[in-house]
Amino acid sequence: MSDRYARTPDDPMPARVAALQVRGRFLTVLALRVDPQALGGRLYAQLDDQLSKTPQFFSGAPVVLDLGNASQPGDLAPLRDLVENLRQRELRVFGVQNAAGLGPDALQSLGLIAVSTGRDAPMPRAAGPSRAAEKPRPVQNKVIRSTVRSGQMIVAENGDLTVIGSVASGAELVAAGNIHVYGTLRGRAMAGAHGDEDAHIFCQSLNAELVAIAGLYQTSEAIEEAARNRCTHIYLEDEKLRMEVIA
Amino acid sequence: MTKDAKGNPPLGRVIVITSGKGGVGKTTSAAAISAGLAKQGFRTVVIDFDVGLRNLDMIMGCERRVVFDFINVIQGDAKLKQALIKDKRLDTLSILPTSQTRDKDALTKEGVEQILTELKTEFDYIVCDSPAGIERGAQMAMYFADEAVVVTNPEVSSVRDSDRVLGLLSSQTRRAETEGAEPIKAQVLLTRHDQTRIDSGEMMTVEDVLEILAVPLLGIIPESKAILKASNVGTPVVLDGPSAAAQAYEDAVARLTGSQIEMRIAGERRPGLFQRLFGRAS
Repeated sequence: MSDRYARTPDDPMPARVAALQVRGRFLTVLALRVDPQALGGRLYAQLDDQLSKTPQFFSGAPVVLDLGNASQPGDLAPLRDLVENLRQRELRVFGVQNAAGLGPDALQSLGLIAVSTGRDAPMPRAAGPSRAAEKPRPVQNKVIRSTVRSGQMIVAENGDLTVIGSVASGAELVAAGNIHVYGTLRGRAMAGAHGDEDAHIFCQSLNAELVAIAGLYQTSEAIEEAARNRCTHIYLEDEKLRMEVIA
Repeated sequence: MTKDAKGNPPLGRVIVITSGKGGVGKTTSAAAISAGLAKQGFRTVVIDFDVGLRNLDMIMGCERRVVFDFINVIQGDAKLKQALIKDKRLDTLSILPTSQTRDKDALTKEGVEQILTELKTEFDYIVCDSPAGIERGAQMAMYFADEAVVVTNPEVSSVRDSDRVLGLLSSQTRRAETEGAEPIKAQVLLTRHDQTRIDSGEMMTVEDVLEILAVPLLGIIPESKAILKASNVGTPVVLDGPSAAAQAYEDAVARLTGSQIEMRIAGERRPGLFQRLFGRAS
Protein backbone atom coordinates (compact mmCIF):
# COMPACT_ATOMS: atom_id res chain seq x y z
CA MET A 1 0.00 0.00 0.00
CA SER A 2 1.31 3.44 -0.92
CA ASP A 3 0.33 6.67 0.74
CA ARG A 4 2.01 8.70 -1.93
CA TYR A 5 -1.22 10.06 -3.30
CA ALA A 6 -3.12 10.04 -0.02
CA ARG A 7 -5.49 12.93 0.49
CA THR A 8 -4.80 15.09 3.53
CA PRO A 9 -6.92 17.99 4.85
CA ASP A 10 -4.20 20.44 3.80
CA ASP A 11 -3.78 19.05 0.34
CA PRO A 12 -7.06 17.91 -1.11
CA MET A 13 -5.57 17.07 -4.49
CA PRO A 14 -4.38 13.53 -4.88
CA ALA A 15 -1.37 14.50 -6.91
CA ARG A 16 0.20 17.62 -8.30
CA VAL A 17 1.41 18.09 -11.79
CA ALA A 18 5.15 18.59 -11.70
CA ALA A 19 6.56 21.48 -13.70
CA LEU A 20 9.41 19.32 -14.81
CA GLN A 21 9.61 15.73 -15.78
CA VAL A 22 12.65 13.83 -16.84
CA ARG A 23 12.10 11.01 -19.28
CA GLY A 24 14.48 8.88 -21.29
CA ARG A 25 13.89 8.89 -25.03
CA PHE A 26 15.11 6.67 -27.75
CA LEU A 27 15.61 8.41 -31.01
CA THR A 28 16.25 6.88 -34.35
CA VAL A 29 18.65 8.85 -36.47
CA LEU A 30 20.29 8.31 -39.80
CA ALA A 31 24.01 7.81 -39.60
CA LEU A 32 25.82 9.01 -42.69
CA ARG A 33 29.20 7.44 -43.01
CA VAL A 34 31.53 9.56 -45.08
CA ASP A 35 35.20 9.47 -45.72
CA PRO A 36 36.51 12.95 -44.94
CA GLN A 37 39.29 12.43 -47.44
CA ALA A 38 36.85 11.79 -50.27
CA LEU A 39 34.71 14.86 -49.94
CA GLY A 40 33.91 16.27 -53.29
CA GLY A 41 31.68 16.13 -56.32
CA ARG A 42 31.36 12.37 -56.40
CA LEU A 43 29.93 12.27 -52.89
CA TYR A 44 27.26 14.87 -53.65
CA ALA A 45 26.33 13.15 -56.89
CA GLN A 46 25.78 9.86 -55.04
CA LEU A 47 23.94 11.60 -52.23
CA ASP A 48 21.60 13.41 -54.63
CA ASP A 49 20.97 10.15 -56.41
CA GLN A 50 20.05 8.49 -53.09
CA LEU A 51 17.84 11.39 -52.06
CA SER A 52 15.95 11.43 -55.33
CA LYS A 53 15.08 7.74 -54.90
CA THR A 54 13.39 8.17 -51.55
CA PRO A 55 12.82 11.85 -50.91
CA GLN A 56 10.27 11.38 -48.10
CA PHE A 57 12.59 9.18 -46.16
CA PHE A 58 15.41 11.70 -45.97
CA SER A 59 13.50 14.95 -45.84
CA GLY A 60 13.92 16.54 -42.42
CA ALA A 61 15.61 13.46 -41.05
CA PRO A 62 17.93 13.87 -38.07
CA VAL A 63 21.41 12.88 -39.19
CA VAL A 64 24.62 11.99 -37.43
CA LEU A 65 27.81 12.11 -39.45
CA ASP A 66 30.04 9.12 -39.01
CA LEU A 67 33.59 10.07 -39.84
CA GLY A 68 34.92 6.59 -39.38
CA ASN A 69 37.68 7.69 -36.98
CA ALA A 70 39.77 9.29 -39.67
CA SER A 71 43.05 10.06 -38.02
CA GLN A 72 43.55 13.32 -39.83
CA PRO A 73 40.39 15.27 -40.34
CA GLY A 74 42.53 18.02 -41.82
CA ASP A 75 41.20 21.51 -41.65
CA LEU A 76 37.58 22.16 -40.89
CA ALA A 77 36.69 23.80 -44.21
CA PRO A 78 35.64 20.66 -46.15
CA LEU A 79 33.66 19.42 -43.16
CA ARG A 80 31.93 22.76 -42.77
CA ASP A 81 31.20 22.62 -46.48
CA LEU A 82 29.72 19.14 -46.13
CA VAL A 83 27.45 20.12 -43.23
CA GLU A 84 26.27 23.15 -45.18
CA ASN A 85 25.54 21.02 -48.21
CA LEU A 86 23.63 18.43 -46.19
CA ARG A 87 21.56 21.06 -44.47
CA GLN A 88 20.72 22.56 -47.84
CA ARG A 89 19.38 19.14 -48.81
CA GLU A 90 16.99 19.20 -45.84
CA LEU A 91 19.06 16.78 -43.79
CA ARG A 92 19.20 17.93 -40.15
CA VAL A 93 22.78 17.21 -39.22
CA PHE A 94 23.16 17.56 -35.48
CA GLY A 95 26.01 15.33 -34.40
CA VAL A 96 29.14 13.49 -35.33
CA GLN A 97 30.32 10.04 -34.49
CA ASN A 98 33.81 8.60 -34.48
CA ALA A 99 35.38 12.02 -34.85
CA ALA A 100 38.43 11.49 -32.67
CA GLY A 101 40.36 14.28 -34.34
CA LEU A 102 37.78 17.00 -33.65
CA GLY A 103 37.88 18.94 -30.42
CA PRO A 104 34.82 20.30 -28.64
CA ASP A 105 35.53 23.81 -29.91
CA ALA A 106 35.63 22.70 -33.49
CA LEU A 107 32.32 20.87 -33.06
CA GLN A 108 30.81 23.91 -31.36
CA SER A 109 31.78 26.06 -34.31
CA LEU A 110 30.05 23.62 -36.67
CA GLY A 111 26.95 23.51 -34.45
CA LEU A 112 27.37 19.78 -33.85
CA ILE A 113 27.57 17.57 -30.80
CA ALA A 114 29.63 14.44 -30.33
CA VAL A 115 27.47 11.33 -30.19
CA SER A 116 29.31 8.57 -28.45
CA THR A 117 26.84 5.77 -28.10
CA GLY A 118 24.64 4.08 -30.60
CA ARG A 119 24.76 0.89 -32.51
CA ASP A 120 24.22 0.49 -36.22
CA ALA A 121 21.11 -1.31 -37.32
CA PRO A 122 22.21 -4.44 -39.14
CA MET A 123 23.01 -3.98 -42.76
CA PRO A 124 20.55 -5.68 -45.07
CA ARG A 125 21.95 -9.06 -46.03
CA ALA A 126 20.88 -12.40 -47.41
CA ALA A 127 18.74 -14.49 -45.10
CA GLY A 128 20.79 -17.57 -45.83
CA PRO A 129 23.64 -17.40 -43.32
CA SER A 130 21.45 -16.89 -40.22
CA ARG A 131 19.28 -19.92 -41.02
CA ALA A 132 22.34 -22.04 -41.68
CA ALA A 133 23.78 -20.95 -38.36
CA GLU A 134 20.90 -22.60 -36.47
CA LYS A 135 21.81 -26.03 -35.25
CA PRO A 136 19.83 -28.52 -37.31
CA ARG A 137 17.73 -30.95 -35.26
CA PRO A 138 18.60 -34.59 -35.69
CA VAL A 139 15.89 -36.08 -37.90
CA GLN A 140 13.88 -38.85 -36.27
CA ASN A 141 11.22 -40.37 -38.48
CA LYS A 142 8.38 -42.43 -37.10
CA VAL A 143 6.54 -45.36 -38.65
CA ILE A 144 3.26 -46.67 -37.22
CA ARG A 145 2.29 -50.11 -38.47
CA SER A 146 -1.32 -50.16 -37.32
CA THR A 147 -4.60 -48.36 -37.59
CA VAL A 148 -4.63 -45.09 -35.63
CA ARG A 149 -7.84 -45.12 -33.59
CA SER A 150 -10.14 -42.30 -32.62
CA GLY A 151 -8.72 -40.41 -29.65
CA GLN A 152 -5.13 -41.42 -30.33
CA MET A 153 -2.51 -38.78 -31.05
CA ILE A 154 0.75 -39.65 -32.77
CA VAL A 155 3.54 -37.07 -32.77
CA ALA A 156 6.77 -37.18 -34.76
CA GLU A 157 8.59 -34.36 -33.01
CA ASN A 158 11.64 -34.24 -35.30
CA GLY A 159 10.81 -35.84 -38.59
CA ASP A 160 8.37 -37.55 -40.88
CA LEU A 161 5.42 -39.63 -39.76
CA THR A 162 4.30 -42.64 -41.76
CA VAL A 163 1.18 -44.61 -40.93
CA ILE A 164 0.66 -48.01 -42.54
CA GLY A 165 -3.06 -48.24 -41.93
CA SER A 166 -6.01 -45.92 -41.69
CA VAL A 167 -6.40 -42.91 -39.42
CA ALA A 168 -9.82 -42.80 -37.81
CA SER A 169 -11.97 -39.76 -37.38
CA GLY A 170 -11.05 -38.21 -34.04
CA ALA A 171 -7.41 -39.28 -34.29
CA GLU A 172 -4.56 -36.80 -34.68
CA LEU A 173 -1.24 -36.94 -36.50
CA VAL A 174 1.41 -34.29 -35.88
CA ALA A 175 4.82 -34.22 -37.55
CA ALA A 176 7.66 -31.75 -37.90
CA GLY A 177 8.15 -33.06 -41.42
CA ASN A 178 5.94 -34.87 -43.92
CA ILE A 179 2.99 -37.14 -43.16
CA HIS A 180 2.28 -40.26 -45.19
CA VAL A 181 -0.85 -42.33 -44.66
CA TYR A 182 -1.08 -45.68 -46.42
CA GLY A 183 -4.78 -46.00 -45.81
CA THR A 184 -7.72 -43.65 -45.44
CA LEU A 185 -7.09 -40.39 -43.62
CA ARG A 186 -10.29 -39.58 -41.71
CA GLY A 187 -8.79 -37.77 -38.73
CA ARG A 188 -6.52 -34.74 -38.51
CA ALA A 189 -3.07 -34.41 -40.00
CA MET A 190 -0.71 -31.55 -39.19
CA ALA A 191 2.59 -31.54 -41.07
CA GLY A 192 5.38 -28.99 -40.67
CA ALA A 193 4.43 -28.50 -37.04
CA HIS A 194 7.52 -26.36 -36.39
CA GLY A 195 6.69 -24.09 -39.29
CA ASP A 196 8.27 -25.97 -42.15
CA GLU A 197 6.38 -24.73 -45.19
CA ASP A 198 8.01 -27.37 -47.37
CA ALA A 199 6.26 -30.19 -45.51
CA HIS A 200 3.79 -32.33 -47.46
CA ILE A 201 0.91 -34.66 -46.63
CA PHE A 202 0.23 -37.77 -48.68
CA CYS A 203 -2.66 -40.14 -48.19
CA GLN A 204 -4.20 -43.00 -50.12
CA SER A 205 -7.70 -41.74 -49.56
CA LEU A 206 -8.50 -38.27 -48.32
CA ASN A 207 -11.47 -37.91 -46.01
CA ALA A 208 -9.78 -35.82 -43.32
CA GLU A 209 -11.44 -33.70 -40.68
CA LEU A 210 -8.57 -31.25 -40.95
CA VAL A 211 -5.27 -30.98 -42.77
CA ALA A 212 -2.61 -28.40 -41.92
CA ILE A 213 0.86 -27.52 -43.13
CA ALA A 214 2.96 -25.07 -41.12
CA GLY A 215 -0.15 -23.89 -39.31
CA LEU A 216 -2.20 -23.21 -42.44
CA TYR A 217 -5.19 -25.47 -42.22
CA GLN A 218 -8.32 -26.53 -44.04
CA THR A 219 -11.26 -28.35 -42.51
CA SER A 220 -13.21 -31.10 -44.20
CA GLU A 221 -15.78 -28.61 -45.47
CA ALA A 222 -13.13 -26.82 -47.46
CA ILE A 223 -11.55 -29.92 -48.92
CA GLU A 224 -12.05 -29.91 -52.63
CA GLU A 225 -14.64 -32.39 -53.88
CA ALA A 226 -12.24 -33.53 -56.55
CA ALA A 227 -9.80 -34.77 -53.94
CA ARG A 228 -12.30 -36.43 -51.63
CA ASN A 229 -11.71 -40.16 -51.19
CA ARG A 230 -8.85 -39.95 -53.65
CA CYS A 231 -5.15 -40.56 -53.35
CA THR A 232 -3.99 -37.04 -52.64
CA HIS A 233 -0.86 -34.97 -52.21
CA ILE A 234 -1.27 -31.82 -50.10
CA TYR A 235 1.31 -29.06 -50.09
CA LEU A 236 1.71 -25.32 -49.63
CA GLU A 237 1.98 -22.97 -52.57
CA ASP A 238 1.83 -19.21 -52.20
CA GLU A 239 0.59 -19.58 -48.63
CA LYS A 240 -2.31 -21.73 -49.78
CA LEU A 241 -2.97 -25.42 -49.32
CA ARG A 242 -3.04 -27.23 -52.64
CA MET A 243 -4.59 -30.64 -53.05
CA GLU A 244 -3.47 -32.66 -55.96
CA VAL A 245 -4.97 -36.02 -56.86
CA ILE A 246 -2.02 -38.23 -57.70
CA ALA A 247 -3.65 -41.55 -58.51
CA MET B 1 -22.91 -80.25 -13.17
CA THR B 2 -21.13 -79.25 -16.32
CA LYS B 3 -22.19 -80.70 -19.63
CA ASP B 4 -18.89 -79.73 -21.16
CA ALA B 5 -19.72 -80.57 -24.75
CA LYS B 6 -16.54 -79.10 -26.20
CA GLY B 7 -13.81 -81.27 -24.87
CA ASN B 8 -11.25 -78.87 -23.46
CA PRO B 9 -12.80 -75.45 -23.25
CA PRO B 10 -10.65 -72.48 -22.27
CA LEU B 11 -10.79 -72.26 -18.52
CA GLY B 12 -11.64 -68.81 -17.31
CA ARG B 13 -11.49 -66.80 -20.51
CA VAL B 14 -12.50 -63.21 -19.80
CA ILE B 15 -14.65 -61.56 -22.50
CA VAL B 16 -15.61 -57.90 -22.20
CA ILE B 17 -18.73 -56.65 -23.95
CA THR B 18 -18.10 -52.98 -24.58
CA SER B 19 -18.95 -50.15 -27.00
CA GLY B 20 -18.20 -46.67 -25.73
CA LYS B 21 -21.60 -45.38 -26.78
CA GLY B 22 -24.68 -46.11 -24.69
CA GLY B 23 -27.86 -47.75 -25.87
CA VAL B 24 -26.29 -49.84 -28.62
CA GLY B 25 -27.13 -53.16 -26.97
CA LYS B 26 -24.23 -54.06 -24.68
CA THR B 27 -26.30 -55.52 -21.87
CA THR B 28 -28.68 -57.30 -24.25
CA SER B 29 -25.67 -58.77 -26.03
CA ALA B 30 -23.93 -59.71 -22.77
CA ALA B 31 -27.07 -61.54 -21.66
CA ALA B 32 -27.54 -63.28 -24.99
CA ILE B 33 -23.88 -64.24 -25.40
CA SER B 34 -23.51 -65.57 -21.86
CA ALA B 35 -26.77 -67.53 -22.18
CA GLY B 36 -25.62 -68.80 -25.57
CA LEU B 37 -22.30 -69.97 -24.12
CA ALA B 38 -24.05 -71.64 -21.20
CA LYS B 39 -26.49 -73.29 -23.58
CA GLN B 40 -23.54 -74.85 -25.38
CA GLY B 41 -22.46 -76.35 -22.09
CA PHE B 42 -19.76 -73.92 -21.03
CA ARG B 43 -19.75 -72.89 -17.40
CA THR B 44 -20.39 -69.18 -17.78
CA VAL B 45 -20.70 -66.21 -15.44
CA VAL B 46 -21.79 -62.75 -16.50
CA ILE B 47 -20.69 -59.76 -14.42
CA ASP B 48 -22.45 -56.38 -14.42
CA PHE B 49 -19.82 -53.59 -14.29
CA ASP B 50 -22.39 -50.81 -14.61
CA VAL B 51 -22.23 -49.87 -10.94
CA GLY B 52 -25.10 -47.57 -9.99
CA LEU B 53 -27.16 -48.32 -13.10
CA ARG B 54 -27.91 -51.97 -12.51
CA ASN B 55 -29.65 -53.48 -15.54
CA LEU B 56 -28.22 -56.89 -16.30
CA ASP B 57 -30.17 -58.62 -13.53
CA MET B 58 -33.42 -57.36 -15.04
CA ILE B 59 -32.53 -58.54 -18.55
CA MET B 60 -31.59 -61.89 -17.02
CA GLY B 61 -34.79 -61.96 -14.98
CA CYS B 62 -33.18 -62.35 -11.58
CA GLU B 63 -33.62 -58.89 -10.08
CA ARG B 64 -35.69 -60.22 -7.18
CA ARG B 65 -33.02 -62.66 -6.16
CA VAL B 66 -30.24 -60.11 -5.63
CA VAL B 67 -29.03 -60.12 -2.02
CA PHE B 68 -25.34 -59.38 -2.22
CA ASP B 69 -23.56 -57.80 -5.17
CA PHE B 70 -20.21 -57.35 -6.90
CA ILE B 71 -19.30 -54.33 -4.75
CA ASN B 72 -20.11 -56.19 -1.51
CA VAL B 73 -17.64 -58.85 -2.59
CA ILE B 74 -14.95 -56.31 -3.56
CA GLN B 75 -15.29 -54.65 -0.18
CA GLY B 76 -15.26 -57.95 1.68
CA ASP B 77 -18.81 -57.69 2.98
CA ALA B 78 -19.87 -60.92 1.31
CA LYS B 79 -18.32 -64.04 -0.15
CA LEU B 80 -18.33 -64.52 -3.91
CA LYS B 81 -20.54 -67.62 -3.55
CA GLN B 82 -23.16 -65.57 -1.73
CA ALA B 83 -23.31 -62.95 -4.46
CA LEU B 84 -23.42 -65.29 -7.46
CA ILE B 85 -26.96 -66.00 -8.66
CA LYS B 86 -27.58 -69.26 -10.45
CA ASP B 87 -29.81 -69.00 -13.48
CA LYS B 88 -33.01 -71.01 -13.17
CA ARG B 89 -33.12 -71.98 -16.85
CA LEU B 90 -29.51 -73.03 -17.38
CA ASP B 91 -27.51 -74.62 -14.60
CA THR B 92 -24.24 -73.64 -16.28
CA LEU B 93 -25.06 -69.94 -16.11
CA SER B 94 -24.44 -67.59 -13.18
CA ILE B 95 -24.96 -63.89 -12.76
CA LEU B 96 -22.90 -61.53 -10.63
CA PRO B 97 -25.10 -58.45 -10.24
CA THR B 98 -23.82 -55.04 -9.33
CA SER B 99 -24.84 -52.44 -6.79
CA GLN B 100 -27.53 -49.89 -7.57
CA THR B 101 -26.62 -47.64 -4.63
CA ARG B 102 -22.89 -47.25 -5.17
CA ASP B 103 -20.93 -45.70 -8.02
CA LYS B 104 -18.02 -46.67 -10.24
CA ASP B 105 -15.42 -45.40 -7.74
CA ALA B 106 -16.20 -48.46 -5.64
CA LEU B 107 -14.42 -50.57 -8.29
CA THR B 108 -10.77 -51.18 -7.54
CA LYS B 109 -8.30 -52.86 -9.82
CA GLU B 110 -7.14 -55.18 -7.05
CA GLY B 111 -10.70 -56.10 -6.08
CA VAL B 112 -11.70 -56.84 -9.68
CA GLU B 113 -8.57 -58.89 -10.25
CA GLN B 114 -9.14 -60.93 -7.12
CA ILE B 115 -12.73 -61.73 -8.07
CA LEU B 116 -11.78 -62.64 -11.64
CA THR B 117 -9.00 -64.91 -10.40
CA GLU B 118 -11.46 -66.67 -8.13
CA LEU B 119 -14.06 -67.00 -10.90
CA LYS B 120 -11.49 -68.42 -13.32
CA THR B 121 -11.19 -71.55 -11.20
CA GLU B 122 -14.89 -72.30 -11.58
CA PHE B 123 -15.98 -70.97 -14.92
CA ASP B 124 -15.00 -71.45 -18.57
CA TYR B 125 -16.14 -68.04 -19.69
CA ILE B 126 -16.38 -64.84 -17.69
CA VAL B 127 -18.44 -62.25 -19.56
CA CYS B 128 -17.99 -58.66 -18.37
CA ASP B 129 -20.83 -56.31 -19.24
CA SER B 130 -19.19 -52.89 -19.52
CA PRO B 131 -20.97 -49.62 -18.80
CA ALA B 132 -21.13 -46.99 -21.53
CA GLY B 133 -18.39 -44.39 -21.71
CA ILE B 134 -14.65 -44.76 -21.29
CA GLU B 135 -14.41 -43.86 -17.61
CA ARG B 136 -13.54 -45.99 -14.63
CA GLY B 137 -16.33 -48.55 -14.95
CA ALA B 138 -15.53 -49.26 -18.58
CA GLN B 139 -11.79 -49.28 -17.90
CA MET B 140 -12.19 -51.79 -15.09
CA ALA B 141 -14.42 -54.00 -17.24
CA MET B 142 -11.87 -54.16 -20.07
CA TYR B 143 -8.61 -54.12 -18.11
CA PHE B 144 -8.29 -57.86 -17.46
CA ALA B 145 -10.01 -59.04 -20.64
CA ASP B 146 -8.63 -61.70 -22.97
CA GLU B 147 -11.18 -61.01 -25.65
CA ALA B 148 -13.43 -58.09 -26.49
CA VAL B 149 -16.76 -57.91 -28.23
CA VAL B 150 -17.28 -54.34 -29.43
CA VAL B 151 -20.99 -53.75 -29.89
CA THR B 152 -21.64 -51.27 -32.68
CA ASN B 153 -24.70 -49.89 -34.44
CA PRO B 154 -24.32 -49.06 -38.12
CA GLU B 155 -24.25 -45.31 -37.60
CA VAL B 156 -21.37 -42.83 -37.44
CA SER B 157 -21.31 -41.85 -33.77
CA SER B 158 -21.46 -45.45 -32.60
CA VAL B 159 -18.69 -46.43 -35.01
CA ARG B 160 -16.47 -43.59 -33.91
CA ASP B 161 -16.96 -44.46 -30.23
CA SER B 162 -16.23 -48.10 -30.97
CA ASP B 163 -13.04 -47.04 -32.68
CA ARG B 164 -12.05 -45.09 -29.59
CA VAL B 165 -12.72 -48.15 -27.43
CA LEU B 166 -10.63 -50.32 -29.75
CA GLY B 167 -7.80 -47.84 -29.22
CA LEU B 168 -8.18 -48.17 -25.45
CA LEU B 169 -8.28 -51.96 -25.69
CA SER B 170 -4.93 -51.90 -27.44
CA SER B 171 -3.34 -49.47 -24.99
CA GLN B 172 -5.04 -49.34 -21.57
CA THR B 173 -5.39 -52.99 -20.67
CA ARG B 174 -3.24 -55.51 -18.85
CA ARG B 175 -2.47 -57.40 -22.03
CA ALA B 176 -1.41 -54.14 -23.68
CA GLU B 177 0.77 -53.20 -20.71
CA THR B 178 2.39 -56.61 -20.36
CA GLU B 179 5.49 -56.96 -22.49
CA GLY B 180 5.20 -59.84 -24.95
CA ALA B 181 1.58 -60.65 -24.16
CA GLU B 182 -0.77 -61.45 -26.99
CA PRO B 183 -3.02 -58.44 -27.58
CA ILE B 184 -6.71 -58.62 -26.76
CA LYS B 185 -8.65 -60.33 -29.50
CA ALA B 186 -11.25 -57.76 -30.45
CA GLN B 187 -14.24 -58.43 -32.68
CA VAL B 188 -17.14 -56.27 -33.67
CA LEU B 189 -20.76 -57.28 -33.14
CA LEU B 190 -23.03 -55.25 -35.35
CA THR B 191 -26.41 -54.79 -33.68
CA ARG B 192 -29.68 -53.17 -34.74
CA HIS B 193 -28.89 -54.02 -38.34
CA ASP B 194 -31.76 -52.95 -40.58
CA GLN B 195 -31.31 -53.72 -44.27
CA THR B 196 -34.15 -51.46 -45.41
CA ARG B 197 -32.61 -48.47 -43.60
CA ILE B 198 -29.21 -49.31 -45.03
CA ASP B 199 -30.70 -49.54 -48.52
CA SER B 200 -32.32 -46.14 -48.08
CA GLY B 201 -28.99 -44.67 -46.99
CA GLU B 202 -30.03 -43.94 -43.40
CA MET B 203 -27.50 -46.38 -41.98
CA MET B 204 -23.96 -47.34 -42.79
CA THR B 205 -23.29 -50.54 -44.65
CA VAL B 206 -21.52 -53.45 -42.98
CA GLU B 207 -18.55 -52.95 -45.28
CA ASP B 208 -18.21 -49.30 -44.30
CA VAL B 209 -18.25 -50.14 -40.60
CA LEU B 210 -15.67 -52.89 -40.98
CA GLU B 211 -13.46 -50.72 -43.14
CA ILE B 212 -13.31 -48.09 -40.44
CA LEU B 213 -12.93 -50.40 -37.46
CA ALA B 214 -10.54 -52.83 -39.16
CA VAL B 215 -11.29 -55.75 -36.83
CA PRO B 216 -13.03 -59.07 -37.59
CA LEU B 217 -16.80 -59.28 -37.58
CA LEU B 218 -18.31 -61.52 -34.91
CA GLY B 219 -21.89 -61.29 -36.06
CA ILE B 220 -24.73 -59.20 -37.38
CA ILE B 221 -27.81 -58.95 -35.15
CA PRO B 222 -30.92 -57.71 -36.92
CA GLU B 223 -33.14 -55.03 -35.45
CA SER B 224 -35.90 -57.13 -33.96
CA LYS B 225 -39.00 -56.87 -31.84
CA ALA B 226 -38.05 -60.21 -30.32
CA ILE B 227 -35.18 -58.50 -28.47
CA LEU B 228 -37.41 -55.87 -26.87
CA LYS B 229 -39.94 -58.51 -25.90
CA ALA B 230 -37.28 -60.78 -24.40
CA SER B 231 -35.84 -57.90 -22.38
CA ASN B 232 -39.24 -57.00 -21.03
CA VAL B 233 -39.92 -60.50 -19.76
CA GLY B 234 -36.40 -60.85 -18.37
CA THR B 235 -35.17 -63.59 -20.64
CA PRO B 236 -32.01 -63.55 -22.74
CA VAL B 237 -33.16 -63.53 -26.36
CA VAL B 238 -31.51 -66.86 -27.16
CA LEU B 239 -33.69 -68.56 -24.55
CA ASP B 240 -36.90 -66.84 -25.62
CA GLY B 241 -38.12 -68.94 -28.50
CA PRO B 242 -36.86 -68.94 -32.08
CA SER B 243 -36.27 -65.62 -33.76
CA ALA B 244 -33.90 -64.17 -36.32
CA ALA B 245 -32.11 -62.27 -33.55
CA ALA B 246 -31.73 -65.40 -31.42
CA GLN B 247 -30.28 -67.26 -34.39
CA ALA B 248 -27.84 -64.43 -35.08
CA TYR B 249 -26.66 -64.44 -31.45
CA GLU B 250 -26.25 -68.22 -31.51
CA ASP B 251 -24.11 -67.89 -34.63
CA ALA B 252 -22.03 -65.18 -32.96
CA VAL B 253 -21.52 -67.36 -29.87
CA ALA B 254 -20.45 -70.27 -32.05
CA ARG B 255 -17.87 -68.04 -33.76
CA LEU B 256 -16.70 -66.84 -30.37
CA THR B 257 -15.92 -70.42 -29.40
CA GLY B 258 -13.98 -70.96 -32.58
CA SER B 259 -16.51 -72.47 -35.00
CA GLN B 260 -16.46 -71.37 -38.62
CA ILE B 261 -19.97 -70.26 -39.46
CA GLU B 262 -20.92 -68.42 -42.57
CA MET B 263 -21.95 -64.83 -41.99
CA ARG B 264 -25.56 -64.21 -42.87
CA ILE B 265 -27.94 -61.36 -42.45
CA ALA B 266 -31.32 -62.49 -41.26
CA GLY B 267 -34.19 -60.16 -42.00
CA GLU B 268 -37.05 -60.40 -39.56
CA ARG B 269 -39.71 -59.99 -42.20
CA ARG B 270 -38.01 -62.27 -44.65
CA PRO B 271 -37.09 -65.37 -42.68
CA GLY B 272 -35.37 -67.94 -44.78
CA LEU B 273 -34.01 -65.41 -47.21
CA PHE B 274 -30.37 -65.25 -46.19
CA GLN B 275 -28.19 -62.86 -47.95
CA ARG B 276 -24.70 -64.02 -48.31
CA LEU B 277 -22.13 -61.60 -47.21
CA PHE B 278 -18.81 -61.73 -49.01
CA GLY B 279 -16.05 -63.54 -47.16
CA ARG B 280 -15.20 -61.04 -44.52
CA ALA B 281 -16.22 -63.31 -41.68
CA SER B 282 -13.80 -63.91 -38.87
